[in-house]
Amino acid sequence: MISSRARTTALRGCLGLLLAAGVLVGCGTAPTATPAAPSPAGATAAAERVIKVSQAHGAITGDTGRVQVARGSTVTLEVTSDVADQVHVHGYDKEENIPAGGTATVRFVADIPGVFETELHGSDKQLLQLEVS
Amino acid sequence: MTGVHLVGSGIPTLLPTHGVGTRTDLPVPTPLTLAAAGGAVLISFLVLTLFWRRPRTRKDAGPALPAAVDALVGSVVLRTALRAVTLGVLVGVVVLGFAGPTDTNRNLGPWLIYVWLWVGLVPASVLLGPVWAVLNPLRLAHAVVARLLRLDPADGVRPLPAEVGRWPAAVFLAGYLWVELVLPTRADPPVLAGLIAGYCLVQIGLGCVFGSSWFAGGDVFEAYSRVIGSMAPIGRRDGRLALRNPLDGLDDLDAGPGLVALLVVLIGGTAFDGLSRTSFWQSAGATGPLDGTVGLALAILLIAVIFLLGTASTVATTARDTRRHPPAAFAHALVPIAVGYAVAHYFSLLVFDGQQVAILASDPLDHGSDWFGTATHVIDYTLVGTNTIAVVQVLAIVVGHLVATVAAHDRATRLYPDRAAVRTQYPMLATMVALTIGAVALIGAP
Repeated sequence: MISSRARTTALRGCLGLLLAAGVLVGCGTAPTATPAAPSPAGATAAAERVIKVSQAHGAITGDTGRVQVARGSTVTLEVTSDVADQVHVHGYDKEENIPAGGTATVRFVADIPGVFETELHGSDKQLLQLEVS
Repeated sequence: MTGVHLVGSGIPTLLPTHGVGTRTDLPVPTPLTLAAAGGAVLISFLVLTLFWRRPRTRKDAGPALPAAVDALVGSVVLRTALRAVTLGVLVGVVVLGFAGPTDTNRNLGPWLIYVWLWVGLVPASVLLGPVWAVLNPLRLAHAVVARLLRLDPADGVRPLPAEVGRWPAAVFLAGYLWVELVLPTRADPPVLAGLIAGYCLVQIGLGCVFGSSWFAGGDVFEAYSRVIGSMAPIGRRDGRLALRNPLDGLDDLDAGPGLVALLVVLIGGTAFDGLSRTSFWQSAGATGPLDGTVGLALAILLIAVIFLLGTASTVATTARDTRRHPPAAFAHALVPIAVGYAVAHYFSLLVFDGQQVAILASDPLDHGSDWFGTATHVIDYTLVGTNTIAVVQVLAIVVGHLVATVAAHDRATRLYPDRAAVRTQYPMLATMVALTIGAVALIGAP
């Protein structure tokens, strides 16, 4: 049987270890504070950002995949489709109808950080993931 | 539509990740975090090896809570009243699902089930213990049905075989995760309502057959809450509520049949949830139900293999305590890992999308009512910043693995002689480091 004092010391040591690891990891994460440099997908970190994507014969082309934009920039999303559809930007909850063979334009200030799915409601296809950081 | 608000268009929203949700987290910057996380687990192992050579967990530590608290928690009246409330909410969710707003963004049900119940159960259980055992509406519904059928609510019609353990919960959990992460119509209110109603009927039926003891290992939510609640700072000692060290509580978790399966399915499911939202997974075009089913099954299988390899060298023949056979003897170490993963993946979901419940509760029928004055609120995305989320994510994973390493090490010192104890933990260390790095890599993946 171990004395309660020895046990307390050991558990305190264990707690210290956890805290130390926390600090260690906290330091490791600290660089997150500065927004990551925009990748080629988000080359222009300017205040204006135009994203163009289109649907034709059931295929999505253009600025698809992960699209990075700097927080605070004004995003203009232009979606073209050969069939009537509806575009929806999650989180920002922007919706716009696209006429068949036409283009819908969604304009908003990207001020909520995070990753947001942008999809078509008619064809249930994902257009892109908007990464605001 | 104007402004940032969550009023939908009347079209149910299909979301690529978890049950419901409006956003996912930014990738956590990886290399430094990976090094720190792996290093922390390695260093902790060395320290444990040097300074933790005897078992230190115990069952008799910590002050007992006042008798009044015991009486309150144990009160049958209070318990029945609480279950009546949860049962009412449950029935409400099913009715709303079939007869309420068809738009997921206007229907309370999916948000209440996927965010408040499933995710909220983790912090509630970790802090307070097995809360769902007290709140479980199925227990009240079963008691009523059993009485109507003139069956004994406690014993049912036949005894539950001891070898069943938590296996039913593990199987139902795999089913739940498939619905939450794979089924394309998971967020459709009528679909979800049908699934909930079906699940409840099956559970109540099984409760009638085997008696009320069925729910502890048969109902996913209660089994989940009980297992996670084992590491709460409050627990029972000689039948009385007492404060305790979470490590003591973990050590006290009974490793019956199905515990490993339940935890492996849980961790595998969370890992798959992380994987399926990465652009790697989505760019592979693996978004169909078949891809999801295979992906979920492989993630669970992978976690099972990693854990079984970690416990492979712990042979029962050399163990002092033959009642606890590996790998079940080390299953309790998976609990803090599962909790860490859940926090890392769903913390922001609970903080942000959890607000949706409060917003929709004011106008559940979408008739323009405003019962609590919150109907016109919008989700406040500034509640926590992205840096805080990243720190919480990494800390949850690292602390989870550190606690797991300590718990496994302590168990080894209890089961094996000094040197053998350390030897059995080398593969476990590899398992812990692999799981830590894998988990951090998942929250770091774009």
